[in-house]
Amino acid sequence: MDSLQLLMDGFATALQPQYLLFAFVGVLLGTAVGVLPGIGPAMTVALLLPLTYTLDVTSAIIMFAGIYYGGMYGGSTTSILLNTPGESASIVTALEGNKMARMGRATAALATAAIGSFIAGTIATVLLTLFAPFIADFAVTLGPADYFALMIVAFLTVGALLGASPIRGIVSLSIGLFLGLIGTDTLTGQARFTFSIPNLGDGIDVVIVAVGLFAVGEALYVGSRLRSGALPIIPVSGNWRSWMKKSDWKRSWKPWLRGTAIGFPIGAIPAGGADVATFLSYATEKRLAKDPYRQQFGKGAIEGVAGPEAANNAAAAGVLVPLLTLGLPTTATAAIIISAFQTYGIRPGPLLFDSQPALVWALIASLYIGNVVLIILNLPLVGMWAKVLQIPRPYLYAGILVFAGLGAYAANFTIFDIGVLLLLGVIGFFMRRHGYPVSPMVVGAILGPMAEEQLRKAMAISQGDALYLVHSPISIVIYSAMVLIIVLGVWLKRRQARFEAAMSDIDTATIRTVDEEIAQQLRQR
Amino acid sequence: MTSQITTGASAIAGAPRSRRLGELAFIGVIIVFSVVALVMTGFIREPVGSSNVLGARVVPYAVTGLMLLSSLAAFVAVLRGDVGAPDEGEDVDTEARTSWKTVIFLALAFASLMVVIPIAGWPAAVVVLFTGASMALGSSSWWKALLLGLGLGVLTQLLFGNLLGLSLPPFGAILPGLIESSGVFGG
Repeated sequence: MDSLQLLMDGFATALQPQYLLFAFVGVLLGTAVGVLPGIGPAMTVALLLPLTYTLDVTSAIIMFAGIYYGGMYGGSTTSILLNTPGESASIVTALEGNKMARMGRATAALATAAIGSFIAGTIATVLLTLFAPFIADFAVTLGPADYFALMIVAFLTVGALLGASPIRGIVSLSIGLFLGLIGTDTLTGQARFTFSIPNLGDGIDVVIVAVGLFAVGEALYVGSRLRSGALPIIPVSGNWRSWMKKSDWKRSWKPWLRGTAIGFPIGAIPAGGADVATFLSYATEKRLAKDPYRQQFGKGAIEGVAGPEAANNAAAAGVLVPLLTLGLPTTATAAIIISAFQTYGIRPGPLLFDSQPALVWALIASLYIGNVVLIILNLPLVGMWAKVLQIPRPYLYAGILVFAGLGAYAANFTIFDIGVLLLLGVIGFFMRRHGYPVSPMVVGAILGPMAEEQLRKAMAISQGDALYLVHSPISIVIYSAMVLIIVLGVWLKRRQARFEAAMSDIDTATIRTVDEEIAQQLRQR
Repeated sequence: MTSQITTGASAIAGAPRSRRLGELAFIGVIIVFSVVALVMTGFIREPVGSSNVLGARVVPYAVTGLMLLSSLAAFVAVLRGDVGAPDEGEDVDTEARTSWKTVIFLALAFASLMVVIPIAGWPAAVVVLFTGASMALGSSSWWKALLLGLGLGVLTQLLFGNLLGLSLPPFGAILPGLIESSGVFGG
């Protein structure tokens, strides 16, 4: 129970008033920004990063944990409350949540999402606490060839599984890998692809890649085809204490637990991140639903919100397992976290648990605290989040651009970075426009240099014998697992695509009548 | 700009075609860039007698090679009818025609940061960017955008510059005595 003691020490740190305040502010800002339409968790984390630049390491990490959990959660409020027909398939929570909201059950949907996130987040953090030290101990024994194998797995799964089209994912990944190469080679000191520009000598900061692709690219893309007219927002009413009826609790608790069981492992292995987990949870709930509720799926079944939301948050904690123990980012958000840690002077990986135990355990403790803050904030403040959704879009996206500019400028305080950011934003714009996922590019940019380092270490050990890469049993296991994960992942993706295709033409007529009813009720008020 | 030629019924048949050409052009640029990068890789200097088994060129060759092969494969996929679906989003109207004017104005507004920050400092740069971007996105009144931009500029300067200690230039080069602030690189 050594790790229990360390965890208690972590709590002792994280519960100090000033750190508690940072956790609180982090969750608040993370949720507020995550709620904004058009801003996903990766963009939330990237945009709020400058806030932590000047803090001391512990405060920065604790605040960052809050931002991460807040940002992961914030999106569900958006998809439940925003009345956006047509795109609901992209966020599984919206499948049922949005329909529940349109039938006047927005509060129940929000409550089951919030409580489910809390339960799943807490259980998953417990699992992280239990597993991470063992995996870190194991990871210390891994050689460079094994690490290289892990990174190849991450490349292929991220490239092939994030986004709808594998070939477009690989294109995106390879551009990211190229961006990672720009700069001075660490081993030989030679400039690579710097185009003789001195500013490129240190390479391109991953934060700039992420902010450029996510924030600037998104703003340009949304601007190019901005929805005209205001989106109707579904009103939230009633006291939050009475949001969930007894039957709602009864129908929700099993999906919460199942969602956690699905989300955590999928987050922990690099198999496509939270997207796949939420979809899988949704499909499971739909199949397991008992008869009276079964036909409600597609028309606002609470199980379809409870399960995926739990899976989403459990996956968010699961992603931290390879991140903290192996230093391996498997999603764009994780890539930004790694680069943030690097700016704080921390290198996530197996040695982190040994070299800076106080820091790691303070971080894990603050994850527990962040979860509690999340639920305390989210239930009472949901009315405020609903107001955030009403920000006029021109101001919202202009504001995003301002913070993107701030993030880029604050990284090195040169206007050169702003130019790089704009260029990346334009690339991100065209990628979105033509269906190229941007996340693999971010992951490639951070993981590429790490993979090169491990490969060269391995080659130095083996004196150039390429067979060394597959000589250890562990690396062979990893490569075999890769084949399995990819086959499984592609199969899941296929199912998801088929599922969404079937989903989109189910009951627009019913939704329309419900919509009209809501509109009528609003008029009568 | 070309999309304005197609109107009415022909737009329905014409949309996939223009999308396809657009993606071909995009991926074509990547292919050309990959070839350039592949050639550049050959010019990376490898110090003679360096003790590394794996030199500075090996991974760049692999990466640029992957970039070329995958983009060629994507090009072929588009030619065979697999055209990428545009991203969806809460505020995206997938049926709307692309407004290139908005994109260009947004990019210009953002680019203005590079000029205004050194000359007039961070808050002024925010005013220009915010006003320009919200006008490009169809804000209803320019003075509201201007006021909001001013508020945001001053607020971020106070919060990040003064409270958190990031060295954001408050004024820039136009004010006497602060000329050197345009050349500040980090703290």
